[in-house]
Amino acid sequence: MNLFIRYLLSIVLVPLLSVGPVFAQRASARTSVNRGNVNRNTNVNANKSVNANINRNVNANVNRNVNVNVHHDVYVHGGYYGGCCYHTNTAAVVATTAIVTAAVVGSRVYALPPACSVVIVNGFTYQQCGSTWYQPQFVGTTTTYVVVAAPR
Amino acid sequence: MRERLSCCVLIMSFSLTLMAQSSSAPKKEDVDPRAMAALDKMGTYLRTLNTFQVAAVETTDNVLDNGQAVQSGGVVDILVARPNRVRAEIASDDMDRLLFYDGKNFTIYGQRVNYYATVPAPPTIAELIDKLSERYAIDMPLVDLFMWGSPASAERTEITSALDLGPSSVDGTTCQQYAFRQEGLDWQIWIQQGDYPLPRKLILTTLTDDARPRHTQILKWNLAPSFNDEAFAFDPPEGAQRIAIAEATASPTNETKKLQGGVK
Repeated sequence: MNLFIRYLLSIVLVPLLSVGPVFAQRASARTSVNRGNVNRNTNVNANKSVNANINRNVNANVNRNVNVNVHHDVYVHGGYYGGCCYHTNTAAVVATTAIVTAAVVGSRVYALPPACSVVIVNGFTYQQCGSTWYQPQFVGTTTTYVVVAAPR
Repeated sequence: MRERLSCCVLIMSFSLTLMAQSSSAPKKEDVDPRAMAALDKMGTYLRTLNTFQVAAVETTDNVLDNGQAVQSGGVVDILVARPNRVRAEIASDDMDRLLFYDGKNFTIYGQRVNYYATVPAPPTIAELIDKLSERYAIDMPLVDLFMWGSPASAERTEITSALDLGPSSVDGTTCQQYAFRQEGLDWQIWIQQGDYPLPRKLILTTLTDDARPRHTQILKWNLAPSFNDEAFAFDPPEGAQRIAIAEATASPTNETKKLQGGVK
């Protein structure tokens, strides 16, 4: 119960305290439930089909630390992921690394840096974060952001 | 030098042993014809269903870089009207997605991120499954339901072992449990007894990974769903943003993807 209250507090406080709004909320809420400490780099997914028997490794090395939705954590919290709130900076560190490497056109990240604005060019959505442009994309069913040359 | 030679001899004899073992692999007597007949019967029956709705509870193991298998879970609700309409809702630990197929277009929509992507689609579900898988690396949820009983189905060629394990209950319904082996994959299926031979539970164990990751599905069927045409057409909610789907490249593990309908 104590943990739950702490979790609620983190949800409420984090948006109030954070400067870089969207990103900071996500990272903090994420780590507050301990699942953020799990590095979900995956090698091979289980076969999901008897027939196709496809094991395409599509999700290879997807770092889901910064990608998992906050809503999901709410469910996790009630369950077996008990002890929380230790490595508050873990996800932030990971995400910062992503930002550093993200400037290269063609590179792919799973969360955006703070302070981006949505720009629509030719009907497609872009995120402009400073001088870097990201194009949101589905890769398989996963949402990702690819660094692209400025579209205009 | 002598050491190296003896080492070579050892390796050679070892690989000979291996070859001898692998050549004796599948024996036909491991295949119980009753189990194969049950698969056939289920497949034939599934072909007769023109509209159906399935609610599935799924679990999937993902293998971490350290070799540990960790489970993620989710639910799939799929509505199918053959030959060319599908609506699927996926809600898992990692994502929520709606898939729409109306015979002309395919749309994937993420509710929480409020992104969607629409691409032109082929005229049948079977062709859609191939296109999604090969071009966009998207697996149709519960894809086996569309494959069993078709000419391309696994039971025609792939199965090396088939066992009938007897009655077993799923959600209070008596089923018959079967176990099958294919190259790199063990699987079990629970088929409902009686006049409606529906798959009710499926467990897949991938053998090509040391962690032996598993995928499970428990299926609830509705054979008389009510729906209208709008169920299959995507109408973007306010604020939803259209994005692209990355095209899978020829190399299956390659992470670099081409933009689809991208920058102009």
